[in-house]
Amino acid sequence: MPSLSFDAELAAVWPRLRRFAHALARNPADADDLAQMAAEKAFKSFSQFHPGTKFDYWMFRICRTVWIDMIRSGTRRAAREVPSEEGERIGFDPRAAVEATIDLKTAMRAMQRLPEEQREVVALILVEGFGYREAAEILEQPIGTVSSRLARGRQALLVMLGESG
Amino acid sequence: MSEDEEFFAWLDGELDPELAGKVEARVAASPELTARAAAQRRLTAGLREAFEPTLAEERPAPRFDEGKVIDFGARAAGRGARRPFGVPQWAAMAATLALGLLVGNLVGRDPGQSPVVEEQGRIVAAGALDRALDVQLASAPAGDAVRIGLTFRDSAGRICRSFQDRATAGLACREGSQWHIEGLFQGAEGQSSDYRMAGQDPGLAQLIGQKVAGGPFDAAQEKAARDRDWR
Repeated sequence: MPSLSFDAELAAVWPRLRRFAHALARNPADADDLAQMAAEKAFKSFSQFHPGTKFDYWMFRICRTVWIDMIRSGTRRAAREVPSEEGERIGFDPRAAVEATIDLKTAMRAMQRLPEEQREVVALILVEGFGYREAAEILEQPIGTVSSRLARGRQALLVMLGESG
Repeated sequence: MSEDEEFFAWLDGELDPELAGKVEARVAASPELTARAAAQRRLTAGLREAFEPTLAEERPAPRFDEGKVIDFGARAAGRGARRPFGVPQWAAMAATLALGLLVGNLVGRDPGQSPVVEEQGRIVAAGALDRALDVQLASAPAGDAVRIGLTFRDSAGRICRSFQDRATAGLACREGSQWHIEGLFQGAEGQSSDYRMAGQDPGLAQLIGQKVAGGPFDAAQEKAARDRDWR
């Protein structure tokens, strides 16, 4: 691929990749590590990238794989903190929900409470703005699976973030 | 597709027009669904807004290939920083790879005289490169193995000199009696330009741009600096 510069491709997708990592990871430090590790892994596998396919899909897929490896390897303390009470609300005033903004910390905590398979779908579609078909392609899952996980994930989020779904 | 999924697919604009029209009518007829749609739209907007600051953070993408850049200064600065994952390993890997290439290039032509050596965790000039940095002026004839480009002071007051070899270029800064290598770049093979133009290498140009304080020396300043042993 002499015409493709890995650095140039990576630089173009990097801000979104970091955002995606924040949507998946437990805290900002883990998110930065995740994005960095994904970039490293992608660089090492760049010879396997097929020109003509989308670099950003490929990059997000690698990031997701690295994230799953991180969870599986148990390097992280707890992949997901189990809420003390299912559906517990976290620092978000429901009365102000219409106008209030959600800060990053609150959003990350809420995402952490989603099961991983819902979190990745929510991250790709609601946070990153991918379409269902695109997300299905990145996750290598059937579109029906993506759509049902998204429905469950966003309902859970709405409960956690203070409005009844 | 469950009714829930259909509702959300409608909300996300994922339905074909015909089905979307049906769901739309269903939502319009139901205050409960209308409120739910509004709440979900707020949730999506709120989530996107919440993660948006990560886009604006000044965290440049790591670099791996372009110009085969290694900025040893940055590498050293990164040492001891947060190190649970990734960054130091990456820096070490990149350094090893790129440096291996370059050392191979440089040493291959001059057996037994490595131009760069590692000393206490830092890369310093040795052999012919060290001599060239010590004595050679930018005006030296083109036949020399090592050619000197710009000479300048950096913001720490050190004198730095860019240099070029047949296929490699770099920047070294004087500390004590040594030339510390600040970066090595792999240029185009066989590119035999006037080394004064070596700033063309985007990686080297960038590094020089970061380091230079007060502009490059002219020929007289360069010679005077050599006469003062680069102090």
